[in-house]
Amino acid sequence: MSDLELEPASFRDPASTVAYLDGRVLRGLTKEGAADFDTLAAAPFFAKAMDDGKLVRTTQVPIEDLPQSVRGDAWVRALEHERIPFVSYPYEWTFSMLRDAALVHLDLLLAALDADLTMKDGYAYNLAFVGARPVFIDVGSFERVRPGEPWAGYRQFCQTMLYPLLLQAHKDVRFQPWLRGAIQGIQPQDLAKLFTGTDKMKPGVLKHVSLHGAMDQRYSKSRAQDTQKELKAAGFSTELQKATVAAIRKLVAKLDWGRAASEWNDYQKTSTYTDAEREIKAAFVAKALQGKGAKLVFDLGGNDGTYSRVAANHAAYVVCADGDDLVLDGLYRSLRQEGNRQILPAHLDLGDPSPGLGWRGRERAAFFDRSRPDAVLALALLHHLAITGNVPLAELVDWLHALGGRLVVEFVDPTDPMADRLLANKPPGMHGDYRREVFERLLESRFDVVDREEFPSGTRTLYHATPRR
Amino acid sequence: MLAYLDAASGSMIVQAIVAGAAGAAVFFKLGWRRITGPFRRRPAAEVGEQDER
Repeated sequence: MSDLELEPASFRDPASTVAYLDGRVLRGLTKEGAADFDTLAAAPFFAKAMDDGKLVRTTQVPIEDLPQSVRGDAWVRALEHERIPFVSYPYEWTFSMLRDAALVHLDLLLAALDADLTMKDGYAYNLAFVGARPVFIDVGSFERVRPGEPWAGYRQFCQTMLYPLLLQAHKDVRFQPWLRGAIQGIQPQDLAKLFTGTDKMKPGVLKHVSLHGAMDQRYSKSRAQDTQKELKAAGFSTELQKATVAAIRKLVAKLDWGRAASEWNDYQKTSTYTDAEREIKAAFVAKALQGKGAKLVFDLGGNDGTYSRVAANHAAYVVCADGDDLVLDGLYRSLRQEGNRQILPAHLDLGDPSPGLGWRGRERAAFFDRSRPDAVLALALLHHLAITGNVPLAELVDWLHALGGRLVVEFVDPTDPMADRLLANKPPGMHGDYRREVFERLLESRFDVVDREEFPSGTRTLYHATPRR
Repeated sequence: MLAYLDAASGSMIVQAIVAGAAGAAVFFKLGWRRITGPFRRRPAAEVGEQDER
């Protein structure tokens, strides 16, 4: 019995459509799409980009691999792509991740332009991460270049990659809520209003934001077809498209985010953990995951990735989700340096995780709807959600149970200095139910507790539990 | 020929400026009016008109 599912985000470009079949990622191409692919497959950079991990590994498969019901008459060619272990979206990336993804995008476009190809779009969602490596996944983006035309994806690239980067690099405003707020990103005219005075002197602002915003307003009623003809008549060429892309690449490469102080930045230094406690925790995580063959682990509130790294020794892939993008950005940069393809940093406020977005709320799935983890780590997390976030303990246990995987969870007693600090911000007695015995009762009602270990301090306890069906 | 995305006229024109000196030449060929337009204070009577074509 085949289980076929069309990718809900793959409908905008009629030349190419993605579908999942029995765990395989397939792409159907129309006649037009197949002709573009043939040019791509013959280009020298194609194989190299796949070997370098910049382009998703792609092979041609017999068209018969796609069931007739999906194929219809439109598709003449089928491709198969390597599966990305867990797809995270740009609003879950940190600054360095978005910048590196943008550079991969531009590098591929520059290579394409040398091979009579260009890209028909410029969308941040055409990239995904495998561990700390950005991969371009939309092979259907490549098309044969038409002389005299500018890059059709420039505006989309600005809205979903360049503008978010400029916003954070120049204004120290985090881009993630903006990208989550609109799937097509930030409009030129909107950003132009935010960059005022001396902002305009900062790299990239005058041309890509101020002028772009003004031009956009001025020519909003012009027909793109006419403008394209006029540009061609005025001498626009593929060489100029190349120069445009090269200039954008140069700009993106030098963008940086001036680090702000973060509550969590020195967490490892200022936390009340001792090395001995850290070792207990690492050993407990290792013991819980050892030999279980977990494919996917969620490390929720994973912070600097200490326990994600432990988990990665016993699991195929780990998503380290945390709400502090500065700490995550540091983790990403060290993973990148190591060439890690196993741990994915994901920026996520666990009290307000990414919802379903786009057309019918289905184009970009909610974070917790994308994949079911085999194991979940929730270490030094619950007290934040329960005390600061006011989420009832019963709700938290229910949530962890619904995630479906085996659980390694830490309960921080109200008398622990970290919990005490959070409780001090709340009225006395408000979190009277936040007690270890209440938590244990709730946990045991939904899970089988396999193992537990109390820290020598007596204020923290670790549990390894499997969900009861 | 157009792509499946609306490339938007303003976004196409600005690319000429981004391309540097050779692009600027193209940009200037498109006409002074188009360049100076967005920065020119427009008389009240002109506002709302589609003066580009």
